[in-house]
Amino acid sequence: MACEMACGYHRDDGFALLSSCIMVTRGREKRDYSGVVLKEEENLVIARPEGLEIRKLGSGVEAEQGKGKEDASAKPLLLREPCDLCSDRKEGPLCLQFCPVNAISMD
Amino acid sequence: MEYLSTNKIAIVDLATSKVTDQEVDEDLVKERIGGAGITTALYEQYQDEDPIVLGTGLLTGTLAPASALGMITAKSPLTGKVCHAPLTLYAGLELKFSGFDYVVIKGKPPKPVYLWIHDGVADINDAKDVWGKDVWTSTDTIRELMGDSLIQVLSVGKAGESESDFAQVCINYWASGDRWGFGKLFGQKKLKLVALRGMSLLEVSNAEGFVNQCKELLSALKTGAFAEKKGIAEIAVAIGEGDTPKWLAPLVHRHQSCFNTPFPSNTFVFLDEDPKLLKESEKKEPGFLITDVYGLLGFKKLGLSAADACGLLRECAKYGIDAVAVSELSQKAGKKKPDEIKKSFSGLKGTLENVGKGKFSPWSPPKPIFANFGSSQDAQWWERRQAVAYIFGIHPIFALMSPELSEEKLIELANLGAGLGFTSETLNKVIADISK
Repeated sequence: MACEMACGYHRDDGFALLSSCIMVTRGREKRDYSGVVLKEEENLVIARPEGLEIRKLGSGVEAEQGKGKEDASAKPLLLREPCDLCSDRKEGPLCLQFCPVNAISMD
Repeated sequence: MEYLSTNKIAIVDLATSKVTDQEVDEDLVKERIGGAGITTALYEQYQDEDPIVLGTGLLTGTLAPASALGMITAKSPLTGKVCHAPLTLYAGLELKFSGFDYVVIKGKPPKPVYLWIHDGVADINDAKDVWGKDVWTSTDTIRELMGDSLIQVLSVGKAGESESDFAQVCINYWASGDRWGFGKLFGQKKLKLVALRGMSLLEVSNAEGFVNQCKELLSALKTGAFAEKKGIAEIAVAIGEGDTPKWLAPLVHRHQSCFNTPFPSNTFVFLDEDPKLLKESEKKEPGFLITDVYGLLGFKKLGLSAADACGLLRECAKYGIDAVAVSELSQKAGKKKPDEIKKSFSGLKGTLENVGKGKFSPWSPPKPIFANFGSSQDAQWWERRQAVAYIFGIHPIFALMSPELSEEKLIELANLGAGLGFTSETLNKVIADISK
């Protein structure tokens, strides 16, 4: 969530969640199941407890992402700008720097 | 109020079913900063109407580390004092982004209602779909009605509806830090729940300065005393219950942080599922998120297994009753079997010894956790540290493990964010005002 806020700041110069290209899916609260989804230029990168998955945007497969009722809140991600790795910041992506629990890394 | 604020206060009159908006007066912020400083002022303004005030801290919902906190301010049915209960997880964040920094709820409606606060609008709705339902079903129902699983729900269960002294306002499916019986106030006002969601934008006075300062603070915090620790059992160890990790470990699925909080103070246990499962459970309700260390320890001290204790915590949350009160009164009554304890929820009565003495919820342990603050760390220190957390919107348990989040640093952040020239004198005055 802090990663979403940091990304939102990169986009809007204020604190907001609406334009972030990274999203923590936490709609399956009762099952303690969540993941992190990142929208890239051509891919949707999905990190879940099962492992990492990369889906090609436009292949139709990404429509599977968020098909469940509990994931409805994740759907707007597909409409947002793709990640630019905070290219205007020499320190690199803000989401990495602001994750309070070091859950995100970049290869 | 231009910065770090949605600039709106909702005044909700349940008696007339009218909602009016007020601006957040910049002079009020200059004088009271935010959070408990302003919820207390709003409570005093409407005190003749026995209000329930929801609020957020000045830094809530920002990149300031641990800026997760919202709060309920009201007169406790248990103590008769105006007190503050923490709203953690994502409730504080979602309140701020709902478009209102503060919500004053007054009056009593002719029939049960719920509040739907979203995108700068506060609607009073008929609660016929949720009244009579438990906390879990109510949360599910509201999220399905609105089609959004990220809605944060502050609700009461049957304990609140029946106006039990020990009724708790729960957050989504889980226990909260409401140890004041605020659930009873919801019940008295026939207010079943408050649903929160929004997409606001908070502007920042000196944005780059604020963000850089947040980054520096977070870096310093990550090397703090809590760095290698996780979960609620570690908090239990810090308050002298050293065998808790071993007792709880077989059930632990994962630890969870509240919004932007570096220490994961909540622990999810699987009760009807393999805790080592690394995929989504096929079971709809496999476990429970433990958010209250004292509720957990209360049942542990009855000699229950971890599974029975956590099962009872889940039942307490569904019923919307404070697990600390249940465990204490069960112990007094000599009840040690889960079934008989569960049966006692309805009509639970008695006098609690472990009730909060001050203004801030005893959900936060009464001393530093893991860390050394280097000064006198007595009850007065604790009350001030909690006041600071509730004014700025910092997670109140995390505040006890993070000397790096000093008053000076928080004032500096507040000034970068809001540009209003707060000083330590301002903070001292607000703390004195809310401590009266």
